[in-house]
Amino acid sequence: MVQVKNLPYITLRFKFYKKGALQYISHLDLVRTMHKIIVRAGFPLWYTEGFNPKPKLIFGAPLSIGCESDCEFLDVRLVERMNESDAIAALNQNMTEEMQVTEAYYTDGKFSDMAYLGYDFRFSLVDGTRALESIAACLEREEILIKKQGKSGKEKVMKTVNIKPQIHSAKVYADGEEICIRAILSADPASFLNPEHLVSVLKNECGILKEENLAKESYSILRTDAYKKDLSPFV
Amino acid sequence: MTSIKDLSSILKSVQKPGRYIGGEMHSIVKDKENISLRFALCFPDVYEIGMSNLGSRLLYHTLNQDPAIWCERVYAPAEDMKAQMEKHGIPLTAIESGEDVKAFDILGFSLHYELCYTTVLSMLKLAGIPLLSKDRKEDEPIILGGGPCAYNSEPMADFFDLMNIGEGEELLSDICHLYMQMKADGTYSRSAFLRRAAAEIEGVYVPSLYDVTYNEDGTIAAYTPKFPDVPKKVKKRIVKDLDKAPYPDKLVMPYIETVHDRITLEIYRGCIRGCRFCQAGMIYRPIREKSPQTLCKAAKCLFENTGYDEISLISLSTSDYSRLRELTDLLLEWTDDAHVSLSLPSLRLDSFSEELMQKISSVRTGGLTFAPEAGTQRLRDVINKNVTEEDLLRSVRIAFRGGKSSVKLYFMNGLPTETYEDIEGIAKTAKRVIDTYYELPREERPSGLGVTVSVACFVPKPFTAFQWEKQDSFESLIKKQSYLRGCITDRRIKYNYHEAKVSFIEAVLTRGDRRLAPAIAAAVEAGAYLDAWEEGFSFDRWMRAFASAGVDPAYYTTRGFGLDEVLPWDVIDCGITKQFLKREREKAYKGETTPACSEHCSGCGASALGGKTRWCK
Repeated sequence: MVQVKNLPYITLRFKFYKKGALQYISHLDLVRTMHKIIVRAGFPLWYTEGFNPKPKLIFGAPLSIGCESDCEFLDVRLVERMNESDAIAALNQNMTEEMQVTEAYYTDGKFSDMAYLGYDFRFSLVDGTRALESIAACLEREEILIKKQGKSGKEKVMKTVNIKPQIHSAKVYADGEEICIRAILSADPASFLNPEHLVSVLKNECGILKEENLAKESYSILRTDAYKKDLSPFV
Repeated sequence: MTSIKDLSSILKSVQKPGRYIGGEMHSIVKDKENISLRFALCFPDVYEIGMSNLGSRLLYHTLNQDPAIWCERVYAPAEDMKAQMEKHGIPLTAIESGEDVKAFDILGFSLHYELCYTTVLSMLKLAGIPLLSKDRKEDEPIILGGGPCAYNSEPMADFFDLMNIGEGEELLSDICHLYMQMKADGTYSRSAFLRRAAAEIEGVYVPSLYDVTYNEDGTIAAYTPKFPDVPKKVKKRIVKDLDKAPYPDKLVMPYIETVHDRITLEIYRGCIRGCRFCQAGMIYRPIREKSPQTLCKAAKCLFENTGYDEISLISLSTSDYSRLRELTDLLLEWTDDAHVSLSLPSLRLDSFSEELMQKISSVRTGGLTFAPEAGTQRLRDVINKNVTEEDLLRSVRIAFRGGKSSVKLYFMNGLPTETYEDIEGIAKTAKRVIDTYYELPREERPSGLGVTVSVACFVPKPFTAFQWEKQDSFESLIKKQSYLRGCITDRRIKYNYHEAKVSFIEAVLTRGDRRLAPAIAAAVEAGAYLDAWEEGFSFDRWMRAFASAGVDPAYYTTRGFGLDEVLPWDVIDCGITKQFLKREREKAYKGETTPACSEHCSGCGASALGGKTRWCK
């Protein structure tokens, strides 16, 4: 279908999960993959104008490599309304089982309303009991410092940043052999906290996940929920 | 058994872990209980490169069409992952099943570039499979190789059980069927299988079934088959009718970005040209075209199953496809509306037209690449390039008018008979391209002119008219490269050149014989891996490896081969006769050109292979 200029569009929002091996796919690669998936699904897509028209896809907060999610959002612009459950079926047929859509609805909402994201961290460690105490102590500190690449003018410099204000809450507990953290972290673009940063603090400070233990120790991160500023669920 | 896929901590510690996970849309997983043969299609380079390889895509599709065969993909882990695998004792595994490749029946390596040889051996080491064919046990897999380097695979002869000479679609199936049949009737043993494959299947070369003797001066005396039923010369296998050949209707969809992340449509095989330096132009003959209808149907189907927004029409020289207009018209009937763009790599200067230009730029813009190859008409005639400077200037004028502001020009240094005048000609040619741009009225040319001159080093390749030539020494090539740099005075010309030392090693490996095997093994022992990458390549390591094995690299490069000498690749019959190549060589030295197949059949010999061809007499 050749698009006439300035066609109006409606936004169909999908909520989907991205799990298992797909945690190793970066956000950028997900965007590229999703472009092909929606073309295969045969949606009545709205295309951007200009010399190189593209469908318009807008993703919620990016998910970093090594992080699984039950709670990803994708907005797709369509030129005509289609039935939500048909849309879900069409997308799911074109994705593998580790990434599937669970909900679809039309919306005018913006992703900037997303203020927090909830995560479950699970660690499988050689000495869990010792790690539990040390992780709890680490999380309770006034300041949790990480080294981060930043800019001073045009120069790249290593900066020390306190991530404590970006942690809304974090509880650590043991679940059988595993050590778990339930955390709510900032999703605000200005102060977004990558959950991997939290893991790297624990790696440095609590002696877990050392290079020589890579084949024995492991961890997983699962994004579970998204919240608005008042901690009500984001939709 | 541990598979990489289960080791999350390791995956999280390496670059681009998406290379190792598999699970892509359209990847093929079969129930191994119902499988008679497990085939590992091994690509000796990283995932992003291997996934872009058309030949591998074709063979993956073809082999998996057979319900008794499960063909899986295996790629070389990047350096960081390889280090982790070695440290933690993780073996090389296949992408689909995550299972150890050592337990497979056959490992098929794609030999697409000589510098991947060390990666092949490193992959065998990672898999825990003995490097030498003679050391492999009965229950270990058969190691076979195929692809362009198989036409002279002698340097790898001791490592491979079997070589595929020619196109793999039918050949590989035949090999697999013989294997399954012998396993089923209980007659299988490694030696019995290899012997029957060599004797019964056209296109199979089993190096261990030949004795090689040498003369006192070190040249080869003879290749002698060890048994009467083993062919004296192994004849290349081709697919006779490409319209009937299997072509994938789906592509495995990589999650991570690959080098050629698009639909690739092979429009024909072979080349009507006959440039005297070009190996591909010879070994893929005779020319066999696909019909526009077959191609358009395949393209539509692939688009629907992939969602790619680009279709690349692939061949050795796309504008030489005799029905290109018909094909592009058919494709454009639906591609524009589907927001799919066409890309036509490998365009020739003499057949580039305004009409073609519009077809490829209807959706997207970008740069264009042309290959004059040499800087003067004299040298272009020597190499039988058959294009003129006027062709080039006409083409770039069309390109500039059509909105392309960047033009890339490919040349070669070190071609036979090259003089400093020819090298200076490269700079002059590039300058004339810039002048052509400024001759256009301002409103007809795009802004942001960019001309890139990219200069490779000539490597005399087997099965070309220049196969006997000596290679320029790398000292001489380096001198020529810096001379050319001095000749390029215009700041708007960007100048790139290939590392002469890499081309030197390439020449040793492409022209080598069986005596190179210990040197290649020594290079691997010294850590050579992913040599095809700049950061993986070490000239000094190669020179040490040659020295330790008592190999003089100059013997294969700057010495040149005598016209009556037995060549390491004489055991292979690729269809092109030696008489034809000698004739072409003589004409080169006289500066005489040979017309394209479409104008006149020059009797190269390839028609004897059969096949549905248009031009052969």
